[in-house]
Amino acid sequence: MKTFYHSTQEYQEIIQEKLTNKQLRENLKTAMDTLKNNRKNLINARYTKWSDLREEGRRVKLKALTHLDALLRRFEENATKNGIKVHWASDAKEANEIIYNLMQEKKVTSILKGKSMASEEIHLNAFLKQKGLDAIETDLGELIIQLIDETPVHIVVPAVHKNRYEIGEIFQEKLGASLESQPEKLNEIARKHLRKEFKTFKMGLTGANFAIADEGAIWLVENEGNGRMTSTACDIHVAICGIEKVVESFEDASILGTLLVPSATGAPITCYNNIITSPRKEGEKDGPREVHVILLDNNRSNMLNDRNFFKSLSCIRCGTCLNHCPVYDKIGGHAYLSTYPGPIGEVISPQLFGLNNCAPMLDLCSLCGRCSEVCPVKIPLAELIRDLRSEKVGQGYGKVLGYKKEVKNSIEQFLMSGFAKNATCGKKWRSVLWLAKNLGGMGKIFHRFIPILNKWTKYRNYPKIDANLHSEIKKLQGVIYE
Amino acid sequence: MKVYFFATCLGSIAYSSACVNAIKLLQYAGFEVVFKKDQTCCGQPSYNSGYFEETRKVALYNMDLFNEDYPIVLPSGSCAGMMKHDYCELFEGHPEYQRAKEFSQRVFEVSEFLDLHSDIKLQDKGEPTRITWHSNCHALRVAKCIPSAKKLLRQLKNVTLVELEKEEECCGFGGTFSVKEPEISNAMVMEKVKDIQSRKVDYLVAGDGGCLLNISGKMQKMGLDIKSMHLYDFLAQRIGIN
Ligand code: SF4
Repeated sequence: MKTFYHSTQEYQEIIQEKLTNKQLRENLKTAMDTLKNNRKNLINARYTKWSDLREEGRRVKLKALTHLDALLRRFEENATKNGIKVHWASDAKEANEIIYNLMQEKKVTSILKGKSMASEEIHLNAFLKQKGLDAIETDLGELIIQLIDETPVHIVVPAVHKNRYEIGEIFQEKLGASLESQPEKLNEIARKHLRKEFKTFKMGLTGANFAIADEGAIWLVENEGNGRMTSTACDIHVAICGIEKVVESFEDASILGTLLVPSATGAPITCYNNIITSPRKEGEKDGPREVHVILLDNNRSNMLNDRNFFKSLSCIRCGTCLNHCPVYDKIGGHAYLSTYPGPIGEVISPQLFGLNNCAPMLDLCSLCGRCSEVCPVKIPLAELIRDLRSEKVGQGYGKVLGYKKEVKNSIEQFLMSGFAKNATCGKKWRSVLWLAKNLGGMGKIFHRFIPILNKWTKYRNYPKIDANLHSEIKKLQGVIYE
Repeated sequence: MKVYFFATCLGSIAYSSACVNAIKLLQYAGFEVVFKKDQTCCGQPSYNSGYFEETRKVALYNMDLFNEDYPIVLPSGSCAGMMKHDYCELFEGHPEYQRAKEFSQRVFEVSEFLDLHSDIKLQDKGEPTRITWHSNCHALRVAKCIPSAKKLLRQLKNVTLVELEKEEECCGFGGTFSVKEPEISNAMVMEKVKDIQSRKVDYLVAGDGGCLLNISGKMQKMGLDIKSMHLYDFLAQRIGIN
């Protein structure tokens, strides 16, 4: 699948557009505040050892990542024994083709989809559309955005940027429903619309939250029941699963599950946990007759090879780093111009899709560190964002995809080397201070014309530059000035 | 006991009074202050932009400059976090790692140092006032020195500290972030200012020059009459040693 290069200009344009969209800002803020508060209240009230649990979660994932090939092989072996068909896809193209070929083989022209970020990552819907095939989203959020031809704005709550009034209008316009705004009524409209789809469909596609090596099983976590319909009501169930989702045992997966749900929505558990261990067995009344699992690499093994960035494969896609990001809640997920937005998106998108394709997104972070503080599996997101900036300027390990193609910013390079020269020489530094003091007044008059300064003073008053510390210190009694 | 005072770059450019007052507080608590005239910057501007090689040079320079075994005390949680935590990270896998680790153990933010290593008693001489406090992200999450700053403020008997609803939210400064992404940064500081306005206070107090420059610059531009003050200017004023 082709990836697209996004220029800084393109990023700036979309950011500007999102920032000035009042409704979007309002919706995002309300939604993020609710998610954050729910999480906080729940953790305070019910999880006395949340930080120990996080440590366990981190350990479980890092253990799995260090034995990933063995675990994947064990998963394949056990899943196959259980009657599940395991496929390997090294990239987006292969994954899409596996799905396409299955559809051809089974003679189906439409599939039902549960929520899956991996399917977004490979642009499955667009691929199928090109082939004249349909994919119908069944997750309420995904359905809403599919109706208006948008991509998910968030990895957990894909339509969080729309409020219930807007959703009512979308349903009215696209589904011919009566205009509603009550959540229950909206749910009813979606349910009615989808129920008729469930009856006739033969093939369903979902993601996978965990793949369990010891059992050859996959575990799906969802809130609405559509995932269950997709995986159970159809004759054929296909699950697309990033290779990093495999863990050793149910015990391990349950630790992650216990971290996932509170982090994602602030609820203690979800309504639906689907554990799929095999296709329908003799005498069973429901369940798919065939189960396929596609193990998707798409540069993940490259990520695994980096001694630092491999940590980002621990992500359990809870989305809480997005919910807590002060940049994300101002601009929303689309402004990141990538399938994965927010802090985790900044870390994995360049690695999955190429640093050269999405480098400007690394600037969408003030390094406040709140994401690292809340990540349930303790991924040091802010540090990794900084390390990726280092890759971008050519001072990292040079292993990230597309690293060589990234064009360096020579002005910034020049400024930084100048900074280091001045900051490693007392005399030079004092002349910088002298300049600041003497040009400070001029800056006050000319700041509008001075790049960088004008970016500051567009929104803030020009700062008071005193730069006379040394002379003040010399006047102080008792200070040893040496 | 002798301590090195490291003013940091913002301290020497825009917050000299806060530096002077921090030194006076240290003296008031009984420390002898050494000020190296060749001091510069902790290296954050290059570090946060990913220029690790340049930053290592600056870090080594500081390790050479503050070479005696004195504590290094600085009036900024952000720079303290850089020198305490990030220096170690910067030299991971490098021969100077051990040196960076030892150096980092000598670094303290001023309020943290006063809280942990002195029994300073602040006698409030000011009129009753209401203030609110902004926590710098790096001070909060990396240097972890915010509790000390608040402890000092709570010693002041005429000062009511009203906490912000979103105290732990970034103000949008983020060093070069504020000029690389000025629009997003502005949206962030706007929210901070709204929160401050809702507290009905006389002062906004913060312990870091960057955030203060950002928030006070915005409040001035908006024409608000809430005054902003650096923690050490505020403390010194309250106890009458400024
Ligand atoms: S990086 Fe951490 S916080 Fe963000 S989505 Fe992944 S697990 Fe959740």
